[in-house]
Amino acid sequence: MRRRTFLRGGSTLAAALAISPRCALAVPVADIAMDGRPDGSRVWFDPRGLLVRPGQTVRWTNRDSANSHTATAYAPENDDHPRRIPRGAAGFDSGYLLPGETFEVTLEVPGVYDYFCIPHELAGMVGRIVVAKPGSGGGFAGYPDQGLDPAILAGFAPVADILRQGAIPGREG
Amino acid sequence: MNRFATIAATACALAAGPVIAQDAAVADHPPKAPYQKVSDLVKLPDFLPGIGQLYVDPATLPAGPFVAYDHDGRLVSTIYMIPISSMNADTGFDDLAAPGGNVDHVDIYYNAGHPGVEEPHEHIVLWHVPAADEASVAK
Repeated sequence: MRRRTFLRGGSTLAAALAISPRCALAVPVADIAMDGRPDGSRVWFDPRGLLVRPGQTVRWTNRDSANSHTATAYAPENDDHPRRIPRGAAGFDSGYLLPGETFEVTLEVPGVYDYFCIPHELAGMVGRIVVAKPGSGGGFAGYPDQGLDPAILAGFAPVADILRQGAIPGREG
Repeated sequence: MNRFATIAATACALAAGPVIAQDAAVADHPPKAPYQKVSDLVKLPDFLPGIGQLYVDPATLPAGPFVAYDHDGRLVSTIYMIPISSMNADTGFDDLAAPGGNVDHVDIYYNAGHPGVEEPHEHIVLWHVPAADEASVAK
């Protein structure tokens, strides 16, 4: 019974794709996990560096069963943090996400977006997203230190690595 | 009570070790005021795997003591959270309350932070149950 149901679902999906080229061409949501060790001794975003296209939606999910996390853009409107997102882009802030909760944001403006987790910024839980058109070759740079703690700066994946690899895994430690 | 009975009772007491009184405020679940459930104060899961359901007197933050209960409402540990930045020559924490009574064993480990105590800190956990019973708060 289960197999039959699966096949019927599969044929329905195929039909939907056949009559809906927009659906077939849709850019997938890019997922980032918020995770950590069970005892809270290490926390991280995975991937911590990610390349997406303009207009692509990024979704953060808290996979850490023992902690709350945020995805918060480096922007003055977020507790007076230095601006580390492209000019013209809006700063985002998920607020605290409990385990299993998600937050989505669609990034339109090309450039480099740095973000952090409010309760874990000092522990180096930060991430970087590069928004670039496919084949554009980048031409983006990171940001100056802006007085941030070395533990924070160490968490940002190099822009060149993100452009080359597409995604930089988070670190378990 | 005769002399032998008195000696026997004293020996038993000594063998068992001193009994440290448990603060009545934390004996039952939920603990009495001024303790408040941490998940009501900040956005954290109601039950923290590895710790349990956590309560604290907000006036004692960040150090605590926090008191933790298992799924059956049994007090399992008293926890102090000491910011790494406070572990230096100019900072100390004197006369922290110890409401949980007898201590079976102690765990000390690093925590990267969480709502309520955002900066990296050490968890100093006074377990009031045997190590095997830590399983009662594992999930």
